Amino acid sequence: MLKREFKVNLRSFLIWTGVLVSLFLMVYLMYPSLIASDQMDQLNEMMKMFPPELLKAFNMDISGIDTAFGWVKTEGFVFVLLITGVYGSILGTNILLKEENDKTIEYLISLPVTRKQIVLQRVAVALGYIFLMVGILLVFNGIALHGDKDFDAKQFILLSITPVFSTMVIFAISLFVSTFTHKTKKVFGIGLGIVFASYFLNMISEMSDKTEFLKYISVFTLADIRNVISKTEINPIILIVTFVLTASFIALSVVRYEKKELV
Amino acid sequence: MNDIMMEINDLTKYYGDVKGVEDLSLKLRKGEIFGFIGPNGAGKSTTIRSVMNLINKTKGQVLINGKPFEKNDVETKRIIGYLPSEVHLYDDMTVKKIFDYHESFYSKTNSSTKKSVHDRREELAELLRIDESKRIEDLSLGNLKKVGIILALMHQPALLILDEPTSGLDPIMQNVFYDLLLEEKNKGTTIFYSTHILSEVAKICDRVGIIRKGKLIKVENVDSLSDKSLTFVTIRSAQVTDIVNELGVRIISEEKNYVRFANSIPDNELIKILSHYTIDKLLIEEATLEDIFFHYYTED
Repeated sequence: MLKREFKVNLRSFLIWTGVLVSLFLMVYLMYPSLIASDQMDQLNEMMKMFPPELLKAFNMDISGIDTAFGWVKTEGFVFVLLITGVYGSILGTNILLKEENDKTIEYLISLPVTRKQIVLQRVAVALGYIFLMVGILLVFNGIALHGDKDFDAKQFILLSITPVFSTMVIFAISLFVSTFTHKTKKVFGIGLGIVFASYFLNMISEMSDKTEFLKYISVFTLADIRNVISKTEINPIILIVTFVLTASFIALSVVRYEKKELV
Repeated sequence: MNDIMMEINDLTKYYGDVKGVEDLSLKLRKGEIFGFIGPNGAGKSTTIRSVMNLINKTKGQVLINGKPFEKNDVETKRIIGYLPSEVHLYDDMTVKKIFDYHESFYSKTNSSTKKSVHDRREELAELLRIDESKRIEDLSLGNLKKVGIILALMHQPALLILDEPTSGLDPIMQNVFYDLLLEEKNKGTTIFYSTHILSEVAKICDRVGIIRKGKLIKVENVDSLSDKSLTFVTIRSAQVTDIVNELGVRIISEEKNYVRFANSIPDNELIKILSHYTIDKLLIEEATLEDIFFHYYTED
């Protein structure tokens, strides 16, 4: 069953990983000529004209974009968080519901497996693919950036693994939401909504002290990029919160699935 | 108790306020083919889905081999073969892949089991003439049904639960399938056979349960059901009204001096009564199983 699930979800994994890697590849191919040109100074001048709140929202207050690594730390990882988040949400809403959507659930449930096994094996596959996606990007970016003049290996590695936290939680919440319905299309929007609402809440929370409280309701707070960039460390509380939230939503999904009517 | 394979006690399923089945109880003896018959919407699939734990029972319990059959009872699942009314399988797989996949769930214990599951699969694929190289998405409805039948049978279950198993099969394949079921029965397999086709029940079932509007209204041996002295009587006589009044029968059709009715009075008694009247024409027809079935369905 595990082998089959890896196979079923392989195509979607390859597409999303391909999108991420292509995005970075494109930037790396463009960046050398961009940095070498006179426009870079003009760009830096222009950046100074932006309000500090906006720069903070894109981490541009603590990192420049005059190197490729600088770009990765600012805009680059915004894309990574969003893309891995969307992938996590799609996995969460689809991985269990696919059987009900395709009506193959009647066959699956007749096999000698427990419902808990059905959920946990899919969770294992999803988490495996999330780790693998982040891992592939880490290796790819590592190869591309290791020669960069401000490249810091520890900072880079910590930064590269931060998407795991937000993506795992997005996956677990989406999985839980999916146990309330039989049709993927009904919860697809909710899953994506969590990703984008979270992202904007996180961005707004960075802009001022008055909006800071919003970060507590954003999943992206868990991908604590600012802390990684400024202190080169991952806050252990983030790790604990990620683990507790992921485990709780997975446990709730198992409980819900045990009671669910599957047709 | 030992000869009971499956026991359903007070099964009730409501979808909100809508009744699916109500207080349904029945027992399946080991090695019998039990026909579960009723029209569409009578509650057959609801009963089967409740038994298979696909839906939650509002009330009631299902025992298999004397043990409550719960959702996660993997050991009991192992001895059940299930064929849903509509077969949906993984479109991306070939028939061979789905057979291999199915085998992997039943072949873990020991190599002799693995051998027998695999052998049975090959026998069944040959018997039902299925090409294992085809993709599931390319199969016709009939071939998909055949794949479903092989999946339900290949691990040699002690209990087969079949929901409308012949829909989509051509008449030749239907006969092959009936023979297959009789062969399974001879091996001691218990078969719960849900259908709305009466001729199937007459052909292969030992007992039949008739379900109507979510309630089990009759459980009877198929032979004794056929032997029921239900006849259809047609009479032409000027005294039709008096005859009907005396017999107190349910009229099927009526015209001037002519009446047709369903009758359960033994023929010799009926003729004795009718001998007091002037009869122009008398026709007594034996009821088929279909007639008996509809008789149960239309009487309130």
